[in-house]
Amino acid sequence: MATESIRNNPLKRITAVFRGRRKVLDPHKTSLGRTGYRRLQYATLTGLVLLAILSLHTGRLDISSEEIRSILWSAGTGIPLDSELLSKSLVFFQVRLPRCILAILVGMGLSASGAVYQALFRNPLVSPDILGVAAGCTFGAALAMVIPGSSFALVRIFAFIFGLAAVFSALGIAKAVGVKPILILVLAGMVVTSFFNAFVMILKYMADPYNQLPAIVFWTMGSFSRAAWKDVHTLFPLVGLGLVVIVMLRYRLNVLSLGDMQAKSLGINPTMYRVVLILISSLIVALTVATCGQVCWIGLIIPHIARTLVGPNHKQMLPITITLGGLFMLLADDIARSITTAELPISIVTSLIGAPLFAFLLYKNRGSGWI
Amino acid sequence: MSLSCQGLHFYYGQHHALKDISFEVKDACFCALLGRNGSGKTTLLHCMNGILKPSSGTLRLDGVDITRGSAREIARNVSMVPQERSEMFPFDVLDVVVMGRTPFLKMYESPSQLDYAMAKKALAMVGAEKLAPRNFNRISGGERQLALVARALVQDPSTLLLDEPTNHLDFKNQYLLLNQIKTLCRKRGTRVVTSMHDPNMATLFADRVILLKYGRIVAQGTVTDIMTEEHLSDLYETELKKIDIGTGRSVFLPASVTT
Repeated sequence: MATESIRNNPLKRITAVFRGRRKVLDPHKTSLGRTGYRRLQYATLTGLVLLAILSLHTGRLDISSEEIRSILWSAGTGIPLDSELLSKSLVFFQVRLPRCILAILVGMGLSASGAVYQALFRNPLVSPDILGVAAGCTFGAALAMVIPGSSFALVRIFAFIFGLAAVFSALGIAKAVGVKPILILVLAGMVVTSFFNAFVMILKYMADPYNQLPAIVFWTMGSFSRAAWKDVHTLFPLVGLGLVVIVMLRYRLNVLSLGDMQAKSLGINPTMYRVVLILISSLIVALTVATCGQVCWIGLIIPHIARTLVGPNHKQMLPITITLGGLFMLLADDIARSITTAELPISIVTSLIGAPLFAFLLYKNRGSGWI
Repeated sequence: MSLSCQGLHFYYGQHHALKDISFEVKDACFCALLGRNGSGKTTLLHCMNGILKPSSGTLRLDGVDITRGSAREIARNVSMVPQERSEMFPFDVLDVVVMGRTPFLKMYESPSQLDYAMAKKALAMVGAEKLAPRNFNRISGGERQLALVARALVQDPSTLLLDEPTNHLDFKNQYLLLNQIKTLCRKRGTRVVTSMHDPNMATLFADRVILLKYGRIVAQGTVTDIMTEEHLSDLYETELKKIDIGTGRSVFLPASVTT
């Protein structure tokens, strides 16, 4: 059957969705069949691996495939390299490889948190910084930049601490108010965001306009240019652990997305899961933002793309979100560092791609009964 | 084995919504809750389901106090068809129905093939198996109601709570659904507690009736004892007439209509 083959073939499905032929796909059904899901998962994983290989080739310094092979061969066997390859080996191992891994981790973490937030707040237009985590991080980073004796490590620590402080304040306000928890959380998030933004403005206003101000501005636009192994060492275990927990609890997200009352009558304690999942997601976001600055749009748009492709069931949607997040972030970073000779901040790229793509997705999903 | 409620009170802040509620529902009993809007029917159902915690009083299910139970323990015994439904992600109907298996899943588990088979069976029980692959947000209100009843049945409850289940249903489906629930009640001994607006439906299907007025039980007992002109006229604060329609049946209509 024609529709069956379209439903189960991820490529055909993508083209069908993007050519506005959702009707051909199935007028009623939103989820992708089991076979289709498996194929899509393989396709996105293969895409991620291929893109990672491509990214290792991309950069100002030309490193060819043969050179990469001999660099890897020498690293594996311990046979010393030619002297001319030594510097390339250094770039490969100390710059490109950690940067590539870091971009994938950040993309995966941000998009998974986005998916969690969208399910918890039962709103597909929610991004992971709804509770003010990004604003808190920005304030922490800016504060660390203007105080005397600042270092980059301090910037990260402050960003992380204030990011989490922002989330806890929002949770605290919501707990104090006590009624309509979801709505109040969103409003509390707005309050906290606005409050921290005001402090960021004060810091910007008082900052030295030649050094500190550009540093703050640059930081808010995000970049992977400082990626190093020690970042990977911090992020990999923590973000990895967070992702594992989120993936394990992913079926519960379906139930939580029905709202507190229904979740409760289906045997789930919504408050407990909400607090746990918000803490894990916020921890991931705070860690990533503290490492590479603010990255816009990833947490909002990737879950959307995944939902468009496989339907809203988190059992399938969440793993696809995670792989697509890594893939998209890596792609954005490749573009950021190769489109011009000077490197572009990452948020410029993600916003330039993300905003129009999101508008397009809103338009395409208009018949799904959600928006 | 029964569901029993003793001296239950519930406050919404200052508002005393339920006052000294005591009743008992035995196995295989279909119990109807009647009362005007705002009389506390939904609040009482929510208390019985653990969604709301009673301010005082006890609620025992087969002798176990359910106000102290976890959501999971309650959901394994009591299931609920909610009245108000908010927007959700565009899940397939089958995915919505299978969520009724959640209380039987471990924290990290997803429903198995068996769970999906049970969900399909439950949909068939309410005569809605064709809805399985449809988008929940794109079906009619009545079809959603059927799907939610199927979800409650998948929970395999010993007590089934329904909040105005015939809302949004067409004329045929109202009777079809209540018949199915009545059958379930008889065959499997499920206790059914349902709020209703139509006293004639209650007369047709219920074994017991509880009349709620301003959060207080004004009368309870068997259908023959309770469903009288006096009780119902008092409950709805409007004069009702009982009209014989032959074969030993009668219907209630407002006096203003019958004259």
